[in-house]
Amino acid sequence: MKLYTLPIKEGDAPRTVNEMLRRLLIDKKVDAILAMTETPSRKSAFPTMVSDPEKLATNVFTPLLPVSTGTMVSRITKLRGVDRPLAVVLRSCELRALTELVKLNQADLRNIVLIGVDCLGTFPMNTYSSFPGKDTPTETLLKGENAEKYMRSACLNCKDPTPKNADIVIGVFGADPGKELFIGARTEKEEALLKGLGLKDVKDDKGRKKAVDEIRKMKDSRRELFIKEKSGIKGMDKLSEFFDTCVNCHNCMKACPICYCKECLFESAVFDLEAGKYMGKADAKGAYKTPVDSILFHITRFNHMILSCVECGLCEQACPSNIPLMDIIVPIAENAQKEFGYLPGRDPSEQIPMIVYREEEFQDVGE
Amino acid sequence: MSEEFEPRIVGFLCNWCTYAGADLAGTSRIQYPPNIRVIRVMCSGAVDSVYVNRALLEGADGVLVGGCHLGDCHYQSGNYKARRRMVLLKNILQTLGMEPERVWVKWISASEGQRFADTVKEMVDELKKLGPNPARERWNI
Ligand code: SF4
Ligand code: SF4
Ligand code: FES
Repeated sequence: MKLYTLPIKEGDAPRTVNEMLRRLLIDKKVDAILAMTETPSRKSAFPTMVSDPEKLATNVFTPLLPVSTGTMVSRITKLRGVDRPLAVVLRSCELRALTELVKLNQADLRNIVLIGVDCLGTFPMNTYSSFPGKDTPTETLLKGENAEKYMRSACLNCKDPTPKNADIVIGVFGADPGKELFIGARTEKEEALLKGLGLKDVKDDKGRKKAVDEIRKMKDSRRELFIKEKSGIKGMDKLSEFFDTCVNCHNCMKACPICYCKECLFESAVFDLEAGKYMGKADAKGAYKTPVDSILFHITRFNHMILSCVECGLCEQACPSNIPLMDIIVPIAENAQKEFGYLPGRDPSEQIPMIVYREEEFQDVGE
Repeated sequence: MSEEFEPRIVGFLCNWCTYAGADLAGTSRIQYPPNIRVIRVMCSGAVDSVYVNRALLEGADGVLVGGCHLGDCHYQSGNYKARRRMVLLKNILQTLGMEPERVWVKWISASEGQRFADTVKEMVDELKKLGPNPARERWNI
């Protein structure tokens, strides 16, 4: 990856990046940009597709993850990829999700330039929209000092905040975002895209590499600690207690970038039983609570998607009962992904483990 | 003491091999415990995790997924894929402390009536040692 620096104007990193992206539009290097843009009230922000350079008002550092941009790219390209060049800015977990969605045939990357941005973390929607700090959420995030106390658990324990498989990288780690940022180009094609944007060549990328290594190490040990602390949800009693406040709304599944099915099994007629069956269930166990199958839903969801779980925490953020879903999901994801030697988002050429097999493997299961 | 605990087993058996094996056990009058309820599926590869989890959460003490021997699947690779799916399912149950040893995977051909009967016997013995599935008593899941 060829590395440059982008000098920051007036200490305003989001604006400087926006100007850089605007240049891509003005120079017709791309026809549109999909990136985080604050709503007029500033209470929220969403990935917004902009083709008019005048209307481009992105803030790629917005500490908010209202939806996964990976999901949005899937929405946009699922029927057919775009036929004009589109640049999409994504954070690390969004890129991982998009990579998984491509493998699942749910997104088409043709004519798309993936711009990955180092993620410093995001705040819960409610915290963001009525932010208590003196500074704005973005200023707080970029200054760093107090940011952690607002941060979502998924971000505190993020498995890797640096973007993988991006064509262009906007790098914060190792840089001082008040003065300059790193910009990386994957191939000569991207180097050409970045010509004329006022970037400076970086002769020695050791500083950046070291910073990235350090942040990854720090995150790894944090996540490890988190898993150790949270591995106490064991057995039927603990599990049902954990989900006691689940109202079976399926928001977690709807927010999940990996749960792509148009109609989830659990929202289909499969589970519409005849009245007699419901009464039979009561006969069998003596009693059962309605709505039925909360835990079956969760366990089955894990079975269906956990190998691709990118640990974005959107499920947890969507839960109306504030169930700390990451406490159960991260340990499950860690163990399951380890079993299959699979890391979601690592490599677009890898296949989803459930569609491939080797003859000589897992010989302790089945004889 | 109440009467001896009799495990309830749900078997998902593939049409071409294990189901035929179970049938053979029956027609050959091979004795095996009556603890298993058989559900015929076209292939072990058609057994989604939801079926197994449902059986377990409804209180089945054991689940048997039975398919053709590796290499013999009527649909080429269904049993290899079933194996991966069950590895994942057991891995998740393990993390959740939910007794993955209740789930058995066996490759039993159409001519192996005895092997089917032995499998059921073995399962019943092991499940008796393990005791009843705690989900059987839970009304709030
Ligand atoms: S399960 Fe939760 S953390 Fe994992 S990808 Fe889905 S929304 Fe993100
Ligand atoms: S979002 Fe929360 S309440 Fe709704 S189904 Fe998921 S865990 Fe249950
Ligand atoms: S048909 Fe028997 S396992 Fe596939």
